[in-house]
Amino acid sequence: MKIAPRWVIACVIALVIPAFAHHGAAGYNGKDVQTVTGTATDFQFVNPHVIVTIEAKDSSGAVTKWQGELTSPNHLVRAGWNAHSIKPGDTVTLTGARALSGAPSLRITKTTVNGKELKTEMGD
Amino acid sequence: MPLSLRTSLATCLALPALALAQQPNLSGVWNLRTTPETRYLSYGFSREEPPMTEWAQEKFKLTKPSFGPRSFADSNDPVNPTTVNAVGCFPPGTPRIYLQPFPMEIVQTPARVLMIFEFNHFIRQIWTDGRGHNTDLGPTWFGDSIGHWEGDTLVVDTIGLNDKTWIDRAGHPHSDQLHVVERMRRPEPNTLQVALTIEDPKAYTKPWGGQVTFQLHPTWNITEMVCEDNVNFDEFLKNESKPGK
Repeated sequence: MKIAPRWVIACVIALVIPAFAHHGAAGYNGKDVQTVTGTATDFQFVNPHVIVTIEAKDSSGAVTKWQGELTSPNHLVRAGWNAHSIKPGDTVTLTGARALSGAPSLRITKTTVNGKELKTEMGD
Repeated sequence: MPLSLRTSLATCLALPALALAQQPNLSGVWNLRTTPETRYLSYGFSREEPPMTEWAQEKFKLTKPSFGPRSFADSNDPVNPTTVNAVGCFPPGTPRIYLQPFPMEIVQTPARVLMIFEFNHFIRQIWTDGRGHNTDLGPTWFGDSIGHWEGDTLVVDTIGLNDKTWIDRAGHPHSDQLHVVERMRRPEPNTLQVALTIEDPKAYTKPWGGQVTFQLHPTWNITEMVCEDNVNFDEFLKNESKPGK
């Protein structure tokens, strides 16, 4: 029986993609803290970490898709966030440690949406 | 209904409430409290390295935690793996559940103390009705817990734990001989202290432990947090592994 190479590739990809993945801080470079501003394209209020995606233009006009992770939805709700805190089209500034791989990905420490900072400290 | 019968019935109905009123009350929503001196609680119960046997040291070398002084980018933590081929979301078990960074609620009844953990909605039942241990199920993730009151302190004895969990987020192993004793008290209304003693003759040369302190959060509720609800994170991780320009 001949197996099409693309099926083999698909099976290998399916096997190595994590079923339930998670993150520690070890995947980020705490000494490489960056701030990027762009337009929100996606906001996923999911476990284990909330995901923000923005498109940012550099000085030459080239667009880069940046993604960032925050803490869990439960913690953010206690800090005043909700599932609609960021909407597509919002102007978002993210500050955070960049991924060790060099990917445009941040462990977010500060978030500003349409000029207003959304804090992440939980209340009482 | 004769008066005497009515009185007896009323007394019987009131007994559980009376028993509860006589117990110290640990109820409330609690979140781990850390200070600069207890930062180690983000990954372990003790600042000092626990006294591992050779068996435990060999197992410890194979653990790759994502938190603490030995943190790895490609962690094989059974709860929070960051490798692409680990499954994850296994229960943290007793006592590691205390170190997961989510609150828990204590609900106290006359015969039972319930601990409702926000992390994956795990529930521990601590029986305080005088029964002995029941390990008919065999080793389990959270074990079998029975408790009794010594003054203002609830003393909880847990056995029947499987060996699939780590003691903490730093990767310290244990065997199915693990025996955990917790002494819980509320020294002031907003504070819950849990002192732990960890015994495991296969993994540790002597008992060791630590103390975790919780802050009361009167306005918080335990909300839904499902560990397996992170399939959306796959795309995030795939993107993150691609080097940028």
